[in-house]
Amino acid sequence: MKRRNKVMMSALALTTSVLLLGACGKGENKKSATGKDQEAITLEMWLTPQWKGVLDDKEEKADYDSFFKEAAKRYEEKNPNVHVNVQVIPGEQRADKLSVAVQTKELPDMFFDSSFALSEYAHMGVLAPLDDIIDEKSQKDIPKSIWENVQINDKTYFYPFAHNPGTLSYNAEMFKEAGLEKYMAPEYEIANWSSDDLKVISKKLKETNQEVAPFGLFAKNNQGDTWNMSYLRMFGNQFFDKDGKINVNDETGVKALEFLDDMRKDGLTTKGVETLSSNDVNAMFQNKQTAINFTNSVLFNGIKSDMASGKVAPFDMRLANIPGKDQPVSFTYVTSSVVFDSGDEARIKAAKDFVKFYSTDKELVKASKNALPVRDSVATEFAEDMPYLKAYQDNSENIINFSNNTPGYVELRNAFFPELQAVYTGEKTAQEALNSFAENGNRIIDENTKKSVILN
Amino acid sequence: MENKKSKKKFRGIENPYSGYLFIAPQLLLFLVFIIYPVFEGFRMSFFRASYHGEQFIGLDNYKQLMADPVFLKSILNTVIFVIAIVFLTIIFGLFVATAVYDKSAKYISFIRGSFYLPVMVSMVVMSMIWNFLLNPANGLISYLLGNMGAENVNLLGSKTWVMPVIIFVTFVGNVGQSIILYIASMIGIPEDYFEAAQIDGATRWQRIHKILIPLVRPTTLYLTVINIIAVLKIFVVIQLLTGGGPNNASVTMMYYLYQNAFVYNNTGVAAAVGVIMFVIALLLSVPQFKAFGKER
Repeated sequence: MKRRNKVMMSALALTTSVLLLGACGKGENKKSATGKDQEAITLEMWLTPQWKGVLDDKEEKADYDSFFKEAAKRYEEKNPNVHVNVQVIPGEQRADKLSVAVQTKELPDMFFDSSFALSEYAHMGVLAPLDDIIDEKSQKDIPKSIWENVQINDKTYFYPFAHNPGTLSYNAEMFKEAGLEKYMAPEYEIANWSSDDLKVISKKLKETNQEVAPFGLFAKNNQGDTWNMSYLRMFGNQFFDKDGKINVNDETGVKALEFLDDMRKDGLTTKGVETLSSNDVNAMFQNKQTAINFTNSVLFNGIKSDMASGKVAPFDMRLANIPGKDQPVSFTYVTSSVVFDSGDEARIKAAKDFVKFYSTDKELVKASKNALPVRDSVATEFAEDMPYLKAYQDNSENIINFSNNTPGYVELRNAFFPELQAVYTGEKTAQEALNSFAENGNRIIDENTKKSVILN
Repeated sequence: MENKKSKKKFRGIENPYSGYLFIAPQLLLFLVFIIYPVFEGFRMSFFRASYHGEQFIGLDNYKQLMADPVFLKSILNTVIFVIAIVFLTIIFGLFVATAVYDKSAKYISFIRGSFYLPVMVSMVVMSMIWNFLLNPANGLISYLLGNMGAENVNLLGSKTWVMPVIIFVTFVGNVGQSIILYIASMIGIPEDYFEAAQIDGATRWQRIHKILIPLVRPTTLYLTVINIIAVLKIFVVIQLLTGGGPNNASVTMMYYLYQNAFVYNNTGVAAAVGVIMFVIALLLSVPQFKAFGKER
């Protein structure tokens, strides 16, 4: 009898704990400000590091999650039934973390990152379209070229917040030493060179200083590969044809890769390109070991800020476009928010509402100045504080949709750099490598198009 | 009386089922974390998984693998890694152990400690250090080779050198374990054999060749099998040092599996690679057990 009582008591205790634990979950009832019972919702927000602080990295305790924590605090004041947890994910762990989350069906409710990095999740059918939270005012405030970057099949999957144009940067002091003043643009403007100019500049830089690698080239992995893909557009190649297939192996693409390889062979680029990552090359640029480097607005501002704080020895750093045939090649990373389709309508609605809140709030959208604001209204407001803003805005007509939002882009990126390595190690000719990439890449696009939920 | 006896038998430690109770926790963990994933891996390799469900596709994942030259390259690379690293580990382990096993205890401890140190260092840290040493732009090795007149040396960027470099890096991290086990095994061999050999006038080489090596065969078997399985799973070095490059020259099956599972979300293909790795590990290990088992 005693034993039976013990068993009964244990079972009761277990059931009570399970029920209590269940009550602590996501479906708790809370009273709202109006006194009406509303289901409490806890939302998970993930982001990769973008900028420190709410509006500025000089704020006290500024960190990568400061902005979203502040946005959550302000949102929760108006919506007491919603709580937002913010988690910063290292960029290199994005794919792993999301892959595990997809497989275990434990996706967060929202993610903030560059749209191209998340486009494959739209194809997987796990992103909720956001068209229903985009009002007419926002539509007019953000340029068409930005909207094109965040839409697939006319549906908007990414709510744009800021953007981050990719260009080249150069050490103007080295240019002056080499007598290359005529190739320099005034400070706060973006220089435009032809491919021939780039070669002349690099040769002159090398003649002046043998210790410096004129052009920072890299091909170790998919880091910074948007620049490598853009370099192949130097002689007019479009990378993708009108059907979304890869056509980089045509005459213009091959010419561009041969041009880069010749620069390498002539000692005008960094040594050991095939094992250098973009991080390595960026560090070399800061250490004055290269003269011309890849950059984007966040990297550029970061180096400027490090120069001001004494972390990097100051030098005159300026911007240039990637050379193009008829017009310069420029691209931009649109940092934006996505909402994952968790299947729970209440959670999706709350997540969309939170995204809309911080993407439209008059005060919070000012944080987009940490990169470049996508909103004309914010850009106008900060025009005087952001000396490069006009140059970037004028350059917007050169912006391409570099990923074409193609299905399987992540896989495509990983098929690309081994072919570059094959050329830079002399294993394949430019034509052979690009043929092989086009064949392999088109197979990847075909397979992923078949799998794409939103294209079928 | 009979009933009372059997009741008593089932209460104490002599209970025939008590043994099962002792191994039950371990057995449970084994079933949940080893056996279940193995069967689940086999099952998954016949499906294409997406967020919305699974679709049975038969052998399509395997067909896709066999049509991918990068995967075929990864098999070849993995086999080369396994053979080279296991061979080097066994030979070098035997060499060091036979050289020091009969020396003073302090000397043996020093040798053991020196070679075991890299085993204790995380492979991630080791890879980062090697990455710094071998960096073509500002690495120490490239700098020293440059000073000696060898311009533009990039060992990790060379299709010829990348495999030997990775084999060396992994070997350095692995060999300590084999030395430790060989020395322990050799110290355990009864003195009588050596005394008898000495009386018969055997040379040191004959003692090593006729007594030591045959008597440490169980250790050789253990090390061979353990290292085959460990090297099959080689991943960190590849991920951090080469990323499978240049041009897939150092891609391994485990790296290929990781890319598919965690980067491309192709879980079915990744599971198929896992199954193939399992079969290869079996194929490589079984002959070892058979060969050594017969002679024992």
